[in-house]
Amino acid sequence: MAMRVPGVAIGLLIISVIGLSQTAPSGTGAHTKTATPFDHRNLTGKYHRESEFQTYSNVPGGANELQAFLLGQAPAPRKLNVPTEEAPFTAAGQAAFDKNIPSYGRRITEPKLGNDPQGMCDPWGVPRMLNGQVAGPHSTLELLQTPGRTFMFSEWHHDYRVIYTDGRKLPALDEVEPRWNGYSVGQWEGNTFVVKSLGFDERTWLDHNGYPHTDQMQLEERYRKLDADTLELTETITDPQYYSRPFKSDRKIWKLIKDGAKGWDEQIYCVPSEEFKFNKLIRDGGAGKPQ
Amino acid sequence: MKRQCLLLFACWTVLLICVPAMAHHGTSVTYETGKTITLTGTVTEFSFSYPHPQLYFDVKDATGTVQHWGSEFGPTPLMMKNMNAGWSRDSIKRGDAVTITCNPHKTPGATVCLTKELIINGKPLALTAGAQPAVGNKKE
Repeated sequence: MAMRVPGVAIGLLIISVIGLSQTAPSGTGAHTKTATPFDHRNLTGKYHRESEFQTYSNVPGGANELQAFLLGQAPAPRKLNVPTEEAPFTAAGQAAFDKNIPSYGRRITEPKLGNDPQGMCDPWGVPRMLNGQVAGPHSTLELLQTPGRTFMFSEWHHDYRVIYTDGRKLPALDEVEPRWNGYSVGQWEGNTFVVKSLGFDERTWLDHNGYPHTDQMQLEERYRKLDADTLELTETITDPQYYSRPFKSDRKIWKLIKDGAKGWDEQIYCVPSEEFKFNKLIRDGGAGKPQ
Repeated sequence: MKRQCLLLFACWTVLLICVPAMAHHGTSVTYETGKTITLTGTVTEFSFSYPHPQLYFDVKDATGTVQHWGSEFGPTPLMMKNMNAGWSRDSIKRGDAVTITCNPHKTPGATVCLTKELIINGKPLALTAGAQPAVGNKKE
C-alpha cells in the first residue's frame, strides 16, 4: 500500500504536464487548491450542456419542456442555478420580438404559422448556437484551441465558428458586412477566456424564444473552467436599439464528455428537404391530404 | 345529406376513440397530449430523417376506406441511439403490419399523431433512449 501513494502522485503529475503541454500558452499553471489539478486555460474538448435549455436569460418556458414532452416524460425540475431576467426591451425591441414567431418555447407556434429561421434550416448564427440547443444529444459543443484561432463546433446544424486569438483587433461596426456568426476575437483575462464579437446578421435570433437583435449588436462571452470537466459561460449583449441596457444571459454550464472522441460524430445537419417534408406532412398535419 | 351523415359518423367515431383515453397531462402546440388513440394498419414508408423519424401508414376504417396516416418519433439523434438497443432503420419496412398508440394532432381531421407505443409485425419496438420494448426484439 505504501508504494501506491507515490504512484498516484506521479500519475497526477504526468496528467497535469500532458494537459499543460496540449493547451495554449498559459502562464498560470495548474490549479493547486482542488484534488485534481487542471489547466484553467485548456478549453479543448467536447462538452454537453448541463444547465437548463430555456432562453438566452433562462426565463421560464423553454425548449426542455418541449423535449420532455416529445419523450413522454415530465419536464425535469428546474435547477434555477442562476437568477433569471426578462429582456429589457426598448419599444423597437419589443416590436421585433413580437414579430418573431418561434417553433420552440413559451410562444411555440406551428411551423406554417411561424417564421422561425429553423423552419427553413437557416443558420442559427451566434449566439443562438450557444443558447438554442435542447437537452440531449443535440447539445454537444466542441472547442478546439489552435495557435491563433479557437474553433467552436456546434453539433446541431453541424456548424462551426472561428474565434481569432492572434492578437487582431475587432473591426469597427461600420467597416464590416454582417455575417451569420459575426466577427470574433478572444483573449485571456486571468483564467477567463473573453470573446468579443460584432457584425452579426440580424436575421438570426438570440435563442429559441425569438429574442431579436440588430446588426449593431455587440456580444461578449466569458468562458471559465470551474474544474477539469466543467465549463461556465455567461454572455452579455449590447444592442441599444432593441435593449435599453446591456442584457446579460444566465449562467450556462457545460460538462466535458470524457469519452467524446470515442464515438462517431453524429452529423446532425438541418436538411431543408427533410425539414420541409416533416413540417408539411407531420407538424402541419398534412399526411392524409392529397399531395 | 349523405355526405353530412358520413361526416357526423366520422366525428362520432373519433370521439369514441379519443375520449376514453384522456389521462395524461402536458401541453403542446401540435398534439393532444391528453388523448391517445390506437391504430392498426400497413406501413407505406419509414422515413428515418431529420429532425424526427416519421412513419407513414394506411389505415382502413369500418367501411373499407383507406386513410393515409403519418406519425413522428423522438428526435432523430435519440432514435439513432435506440438503434443500439435492438433495432435499426430497416426494422420497419413497407408492407409491415403496424399497431401504433399515439397522441392525435390538434388540427381537426388531421391524420397525424405522435408515436407513444409501436408494434411492428407483432413485435414492440423501444421508442426512447435507454428504454426496452415490452418484448425482446433482437436486431435483425
